Amino acid sequence: MAIRGAGRNGGTSAPLVKRVEDHFVGTFEAMASPCTLLVDTDDPGEAATLLAVAEAEARRIEQKFSRYQRDNPVYQINHSGGHPIEVDDETALLINYAATCYEMSDGMFDITSGVLRRIWTFDGGSDVPARNAVQRCLGHVGWWRVSWDSPTLTLPSGMEIDFGGIGKEYAVDRAAALIGALTGSSYVVNFGGDLYTSGLRRGNRTWGIGIDDPDRTTEAVLCRLEVSTGGIATSGDATRFVRWRGQRLGHILNPKTGWPVTDAPRSVTVFGRTCLEAGTLSTLAYLQGAGARSYLEEQGVQFWIV
Amino acid sequence: MRLQLGPAKPATPVREVLHSAALALLLIPATAKAQSAPTDRIDFSSLLYGEQSRTQVIEPMVRFTHLLPDGQSISAQLGIDVITGASPSGALPSGSVQTRTSASGRVITSPAGRIPLAPFRDHRIAFDGEWQKPWSRYVTSTLGGTYSREKDYQSLGLNGKFSTDLMRKLLTVTVGGGISRDTVFPVGGTPLGLSDGSIVHRGSNDKNVTNVILGASRILSRRWMVSINGTQTFERGYLTEPYKVISLMNLATGQPAGELTDKRPSTRNRSSVLFSSVYHLTDDVIYTSYRYYWDTWSVRSHTIDLKYRHALGGDTFLEPLVRYYQQTAADFFTIGLPQGAPLPDFATSDYRLGALRTITVGGTFGFHPEDIPGEWTIRAQFIRQAGNSSPPGAIGIQRNFDLSPPINTFAVVLGYSFDY
Repeated sequence: MAIRGAGRNGGTSAPLVKRVEDHFVGTFEAMASPCTLLVDTDDPGEAATLLAVAEAEARRIEQKFSRYQRDNPVYQINHSGGHPIEVDDETALLINYAATCYEMSDGMFDITSGVLRRIWTFDGGSDVPARNAVQRCLGHVGWWRVSWDSPTLTLPSGMEIDFGGIGKEYAVDRAAALIGALTGSSYVVNFGGDLYTSGLRRGNRTWGIGIDDPDRTTEAVLCRLEVSTGGIATSGDATRFVRWRGQRLGHILNPKTGWPVTDAPRSVTVFGRTCLEAGTLSTLAYLQGAGARSYLEEQGVQFWIV
Repeated sequence: MRLQLGPAKPATPVREVLHSAALALLLIPATAKAQSAPTDRIDFSSLLYGEQSRTQVIEPMVRFTHLLPDGQSISAQLGIDVITGASPSGALPSGSVQTRTSASGRVITSPAGRIPLAPFRDHRIAFDGEWQKPWSRYVTSTLGGTYSREKDYQSLGLNGKFSTDLMRKLLTVTVGGGISRDTVFPVGGTPLGLSDGSIVHRGSNDKNVTNVILGASRILSRRWMVSINGTQTFERGYLTEPYKVISLMNLATGQPAGELTDKRPSTRNRSSVLFSSVYHLTDDVIYTSYRYYWDTWSVRSHTIDLKYRHALGGDTFLEPLVRYYQQTAADFFTIGLPQGAPLPDFATSDYRLGALRTITVGGTFGFHPEDIPGEWTIRAQFIRQAGNSSPPGAIGIQRNFDLSPPINTFAVVLGYSFDY
């Protein structure tokens, strides 16, 4: 039997829609996550078309903004060797959004902090990098070192950007917008737990969204939300963490110290008007560590902290 | 716009600023067209195969795949082989020109001191179909049928397998099996085994093949996948090569004194186990595999395969390959039989059942020209096969000859596929 190619996380998986009770569910894998689309319809053709749209958009965004792909704007920026790079409109707007997040978080949300991941391994073990390794790495972190004059970005040599913190949420909102333009049916776009729901279902019903137990010891969900319109996103240390001095440190790194955020909740789920808003707020709250709850209370959003 | 990049206290609630920023981002016109995923795919390849002074094969193949919206897929493949050339008859070289007649009635001669070759020309047409159906996100079944026909051989087969994903898709287990009903009807009838070939029976011979496979693949990390596959094949019926012969040797001189037909047991159980690993670097992929094979004819083999897929940007890649293969001889393999001695139950001089080693080096170059839809691949392989040139059983003049000259094969395959 042949090796299944480079497959699995490459290639296009065939769209698959399946009737579940009174709606259709379609799934595919993209952005290293299971992706799901729920459509409140009786028409399998409609569900399949919308699934194809969602999948195409997820793959487009993954191709364009993943730092694991070549020949995309992120690759060009990260391999610019300190030279100015002119980016396209969509990339410029995404960078603007990231810059706003940086300002609004006092520098805690930083798309240049990805290089720190080279020295950290969040596999549940207890290895932490040496102090001088962290210091050396921090020399290549900091949005303030970057010159951004839209559409021209100059990234100092040795630094990298990545949209890991907002790319999936952006894909959810984009896919939801494309689907919304094509159908009057209610739907839920869920890319790896970051999701958007489009409104009330037939019969004025809501969609039931479960929040997972971060320990994932059971299939049961911690709680069930009834939502009609809006985005939901969760930040947390569910599976990627390191143990250090009896503490469990999640994979979200503080770009100022180069260390994982300490005393953070296990998971922070936020309900927002868009998936991007929800995702950014949950990340910003998580970055506050022990202050996550009071931070979200100040923002006046609905949230769940575990 | 130049943003103030230093840390600054938010003047407005964070949430409202983020919401406005998100809207600014999301209100740009959607650049993605609401395109539907491709539903059909055509693969075409043509093999141009030149085995040094022996077999030439031209094998155009076309495969059509149709995807249904619910995840099912149906594919059909048609392949045609045109084979011309000559392969070793099994007979030993002699000190003078040998002459013999072929199965199809032609008279051929072989130069002195060289392994006699039997010429042939054949066409093979093969058709296969496959139906794949996902039953849920975790279970997929595949059902396939095969048919092939050539001048003296027909094969009809059915196969199926089930794959299931476990442990949140980290582990995939596959169970499958297949049967095939083959018929062999040699040109000029089937010669009696270990005879001078004058006794033939008309009519066809059956060969039945059953196989089972069991496999598991496990994703160890985002980058690394390993798998293990076991297969067991049972062959029953006519397993002999009707056109191969074995030389009778003069015990004193080693001079070929006559020829007997090939005869093999009517059962063969074949087993193999394959370990493979796929490791993704940032852009490149490393494939390694090792296969161990053994059968009830005492053939044992080892295959080590190493491939490295190097991304050259876009859809262009280069994938060098190295493969080493080594097998032991079947227990009834012999270079020739002594004249006048009692005959064994089974015997063959077919080099494919002798001890041999092959080394393959090659590579695949894949590219995607702009303006032309579809993906192209060019694959080239050089294979060098060597057996035992001076086997211990050689007598007299046979010691002067290379009884298993190395075979060099060069093959080039051009492939093209596109989705629509």
